[in-house]
Amino acid sequence: MKELKFSKGLLASVLLSAGALAACSSGDEGSTAEGGGEQVTVDIFQFKVEFKDQFEDVVAQYEEENPDVNIEITTVGGGEDYGAALRSRFASGNEPAIFNIGGPQDVADWKDNLVDLSDTGAADAALDGTLDGVTVESEVLGLPYNQEGYGFIYNTRLFEEAGIDAASITDYASLEEAVKTLDSKKDELGLESVFALPGKETWVTGLHLSNTFLAPEFDNNVLTAYDADTVEFEYGEGFKKILDLQNEYSKQPTVSLDYSQQVEELFSLERVAIIQQGNWVYGSIAGIDQELADSGVGMMPIPVEGLEDGGLPVGVPMYWGVNSNQDEEVVTAAKDFLDWLYTSDTGKTAVLEDFKFIPAYEGYDTSKITDPMSKAIYDASEAGETIGWVFMGYPTGWGEDELGAGIQKYLSDEASWDEVVDSAKAAWETSRGE
Amino acid sequence: MRTRDLSYWLFLAPVLLALALVVVVPMLLGLFYSFTAWNGIQTGEFVGFQNYLNLFTDERFLDSLWFTTKFSVVSVILINFIGLSLALIVTSKIKTSSLLRTTFFMPNLIGGLILGFIWQFIFLKVFASVGEAVGMESLQAWLSTTETGFWGLVILMSWQMAGYIMVIYIAYLEGLPKELIEAAEIDGASTPQRFRYIIFPLVAPAFTVSMFLTLSNTFKLYDQNLSLTAGGPYNSTEMVAMEIFKTAFVQNAFAYAQAKAIIFFLIVAIIALVQVYINKRREVEM
Repeated sequence: MKELKFSKGLLASVLLSAGALAACSSGDEGSTAEGGGEQVTVDIFQFKVEFKDQFEDVVAQYEEENPDVNIEITTVGGGEDYGAALRSRFASGNEPAIFNIGGPQDVADWKDNLVDLSDTGAADAALDGTLDGVTVESEVLGLPYNQEGYGFIYNTRLFEEAGIDAASITDYASLEEAVKTLDSKKDELGLESVFALPGKETWVTGLHLSNTFLAPEFDNNVLTAYDADTVEFEYGEGFKKILDLQNEYSKQPTVSLDYSQQVEELFSLERVAIIQQGNWVYGSIAGIDQELADSGVGMMPIPVEGLEDGGLPVGVPMYWGVNSNQDEEVVTAAKDFLDWLYTSDTGKTAVLEDFKFIPAYEGYDTSKITDPMSKAIYDASEAGETIGWVFMGYPTGWGEDELGAGIQKYLSDEASWDEVVDSAKAAWETSRGE
Repeated sequence: MRTRDLSYWLFLAPVLLALALVVVVPMLLGLFYSFTAWNGIQTGEFVGFQNYLNLFTDERFLDSLWFTTKFSVVSVILINFIGLSLALIVTSKIKTSSLLRTTFFMPNLIGGLILGFIWQFIFLKVFASVGEAVGMESLQAWLSTTETGFWGLVILMSWQMAGYIMVIYIAYLEGLPKELIEAAEIDGASTPQRFRYIIFPLVAPAFTVSMFLTLSNTFKLYDQNLSLTAGGPYNSTEMVAMEIFKTAFVQNAFAYAQAKAIIFFLIVAIIALVQVYINKRREVEM
């Protein structure tokens, strides 16, 4: 009897375990079978959800032209989630061939896993300055996605009705005057307030706004910021003034005001006249009021007091990196694909018209850029009236978690401006001292 | 208990294997990582107890721990109070009791993230409109201060979990022996007396279960926190789980976050065990 029970138990557990293990292994078999044959499989792990569909279409086109290359795309959105997902992909051994890296910190973290891309055509065609953040000892470790820029986005109709010429706003004083004019005509213009300051979005205040005032002290160079042991807030006074101005003439409470309230509810419905945002809001505005997005908005730089040659902060939000742990043929195929995407005619058309990117490469027919914000950015970029994105070189988490949170404290009267600045300075030093 | 022969262990093997793979091994690995300078990509050098030492001077971590503790205490009391009250209502002889049970339980079926966004809308928009209509300043600008953020989270959590806890209380209330209550009634005990001396001690096991569930749930809260306040304003409504997540994935201090997680685990485990131990002793054997 005992004997029988034992064998039954054995049988049951063996069956169960076998079932469980079989389930695990079958997944592996599938993927190896797929990768077999003459085809080279390039795994792309990317983060830009907004252009997933268009990107997949373009990739399908490429696969048609190059039947021996098979490209698999995985998209995981959002900054934090992407970083975590990418780390787990590497930890699991299922490493992608092409993945995304942000700024100098990402480059330092992933350096051992990145291939030098300086021999690609795309690297040659990249606009001046766009490769700064990913160049380590003359090795180019990433290729820019596109360019993005931000500033004060304003409603041209409201400006006209209030009798303000946006071109005349060149410094803080003229901005303040314009804001006061708008504020005094609030009722006629149907405005709730002049600005909408999204204090909840620490990236708007802690990264973007701060960048405008910190870029000059780092010579507009992200690497200078990345290597800096201290931050001085040389233009801190101007920073405070612009923040105060936005806060004073904004819908309250600014601390809990978020992106969707700012862009969709207030700006798109023409209930505020000016917001501090970038060209990425085009989609949000167009979703509510296509006409406004196409012809009713303009973008101007955020004036920095005490600084003459300001401009729109324009930078590269994300780079493509190629994994060096892959086989030689996969690396070559990956490079070829990126080259094709940014330098071939088909690729260029897609980048400009389907992705609606502001290209970070030369040789594009930029008259095809239709939305007014991207156009303003590209024009400024061509005229050299831009400042860099140094916030990519801030210590990790400093901009949003330290400075952005500090600004929230300031906005809710929990701390004075000097306290915020001092604590941000100290946090920068601690983080760089480690 | 029967002797544990080989077949006993063999039957358990698949479960034990799974448990080891997804709980025990990651736990040990995590413990190991907390002693290194792991950045999520490379293990880095061995730093001993440095991560743990840093943690006790980390104001942000301690603040979030204190906030979580306050939140848990208030929520546990409120959830159990509301849950028991609801249970008493739906077990009394009212006609719509089945409908009410379903309604009260319903919030629990909605995911935490969605709930957070729904309540964010209520606090920001509905509260503001109502406040404007009746002229109450205090209903304006919810979630923009630490206090309103705190109470927003408490309200959200109570609303969501009270129905679930209610179900547990109902099970115990319905299992009460009728004759005991009747006997008390005949002896002249008033309703409050019956509740205080008969019902309350007899549902004590339900307290153990409910307290354990609410305590561990509120302590480990993440998704509601994320969608309702996201830690704002100025990270003052950030709970421990979220603080740990941010340390790892925003600041990329993976090993440090791991050390925090280990400490957090110890705290939750100790509180839960102590609480179960105390409540168990108070329970009445029938």
